[in-house]
Amino acid sequence: MSDPLDALEKSISTLRRAIRDASAAGDTERASELRAQLRRAERAWDALLDADEPAPAPPRPVPEAAPAARGSQLPAREHVHRALMLLGTPAAPKLIVGVHEAFFPGELSASKLSSLRRDEERSYRSSPGARPYYLPPALAHDLLTPVRALVTISTWTLEQRIIGPHSPRVDFLTGAIRIAEAVHTAAQSRSGPSPEALRLLWRFAVNIPDAMPKSASGHENALDPEQVIEAAQAELDVHADADRAARAEASRRARKSLSDDQQLFGAPSQGVTHLRARA
Amino acid sequence: MKAPVDDRLAALRGSAKRRPYNARSLAALENNPRCTLRALLDASGSDKAAIAEHAGYPSPFGQSAFAFARGNTFEAMVKDNGCAELLRVLRETLKLTLPEVAYRDLNDVGGDGRNETRRDHTAEVLLQAAQGTGDGTLFDHPMLYLEVGGQEAFLEPDLVAFRIDGRFYIVEIKSFPIIDGQADPAQVRSATTQACAYVIALRALLEEAGIGPEAVSDTIVLVAPKDFTNRPTAAFVDARKQVSALTRQLARIERISDLVDLLPEGLTFDLDIDKDNKRPRRPAEELAEALEQVPATYRPDCLNHCEMAFYCRARARAEASLDVLGPAVREQLGGIDTVTMALGLARGQLTPTADQSDMAAALRHAARLRAELTGEVGGAA
Repeated sequence: MSDPLDALEKSISTLRRAIRDASAAGDTERASELRAQLRRAERAWDALLDADEPAPAPPRPVPEAAPAARGSQLPAREHVHRALMLLGTPAAPKLIVGVHEAFFPGELSASKLSSLRRDEERSYRSSPGARPYYLPPALAHDLLTPVRALVTISTWTLEQRIIGPHSPRVDFLTGAIRIAEAVHTAAQSRSGPSPEALRLLWRFAVNIPDAMPKSASGHENALDPEQVIEAAQAELDVHADADRAARAEASRRARKSLSDDQQLFGAPSQGVTHLRARA
Repeated sequence: MKAPVDDRLAALRGSAKRRPYNARSLAALENNPRCTLRALLDASGSDKAAIAEHAGYPSPFGQSAFAFARGNTFEAMVKDNGCAELLRVLRETLKLTLPEVAYRDLNDVGGDGRNETRRDHTAEVLLQAAQGTGDGTLFDHPMLYLEVGGQEAFLEPDLVAFRIDGRFYIVEIKSFPIIDGQADPAQVRSATTQACAYVIALRALLEEAGIGPEAVSDTIVLVAPKDFTNRPTAAFVDARKQVSALTRQLARIERISDLVDLLPEGLTFDLDIDKDNKRPRRPAEELAEALEQVPATYRPDCLNHCEMAFYCRARARAEASLDVLGPAVREQLGGIDTVTMALGLARGQLTPTADQSDMAAALRHAARLRAELTGEVGGAA
């Protein structure tokens, strides 16, 4: 599950199915929007494949001491992309760094992330579509303005990138499931999950009802990824409908009222023109 | 009658820009309503911190960058990952049901952080929730508004939680620990007093839409680190008394005109700030003289919330006033105002008046006991 390629393939096939449904229903507007998304996803897939095999990643200015495992030399945005693909939800820089440290080699700092966010929009505006994917902010469901604190991937559907009232919790639970799955997979490998991964899972599990093992003795060893998945799924089922409805409604509005680039980077902020009189 | 009062207040403030009321000055209003100096400075919107500093008693408020950063980090941690920690804590205390997780961020309105815009947006979102037409359980940093003595005050609680059964709860996130279910009483008190202002402001907002005051609980939810860990826990704090006290004080604030009438003509706290180097041009002695003319009621807990506290303490000490020793001592020694008088009575050097005779006997007795214990000779008569 941790492989971004798998996730992309899954999203590509979902998109194909959605296009078929949309054209069958005669909704050409939606179909063409989905086609654009499909093209973006396919480009991302190509790029990832290229980046993965012989790893012709741009060299980093500071050479790493140890020839770390595959991918440690990737630029920051690739790291972020990989962490987000694992989570499958919009995430704050802190969580992205946490996921990265738990599951992937290489270095990624929160400060790098903040400069990254500025660069993404600039790079998109200067030549839209030049990169296989961008890392735009999430969009608020009411005003469709950027939610600066959350990073997403441009290849995701608009629904996935919108934050409704229930979305923070839904994304938290979804993230918990994905992390538990990754821990579960790692547990079956020879080296087992890293201590960081277990700690990350624990941080999620303590805040989900019934996700912690019943016995009050020793926490971390006894933490069961499957129990976390089950508990998170149980709560997720409670919120899923409300959240999906809010996201779908907002994305319909966004498709109608926003241009292509605004659908990625959000409607213009309100009140940016009202600079303080003294400034 | 109103205009002349406003003019007098403007004259007290002088050339400086008007300071709006905030949660801190409202807390001071509730904590020490009898203090004339504080009432005048707040009502005129004077910059208390600058005045105290120029008078030679700079206040250390808001200067600990560490405490500030610690508070912010803790709040961010509590609200991280879709308020995960906060939800757990509120599910335990407020018994929030599983579906009650909707979160509305009211920190800005689509990038617009101006107070007025945020206030209007907050009002819209909270009213929708109260009327059951919008969803939202957690409201992050709403911007509330309260009119205090004709002046606007913007108030920003850490969080407002809304339960399905139709009640709003003010949630204060503080970084002082709750150890074994106990927290520093002074800090709890200052947190609840702040929260009281939020309760009143939120009630005022709902009242405009015809929703009664019972929609806002006067029980505050205090979220703070548990024991010696960094994980949050929550506790209910009953703020009924403080809410009603502050409500009463706010209703009485109009009576500031009575206070103003007692002041000598031409009194001002103007610092006469130099436009170029931002330094006050008014001589410090002159300012001190002006301050001297207004009675202040010092209490030790003023140090927690009033910028003028150090000035007032020095003044109370210079007068050997019993205020310095706090309300416990003060109440014990009813009818006696100064330390000198109390000591004089205890040593029998002063002749008590008729209504002081009981107190004088008690003081002499205490002095005798003390003398016996310390082995001194001759303290008591």
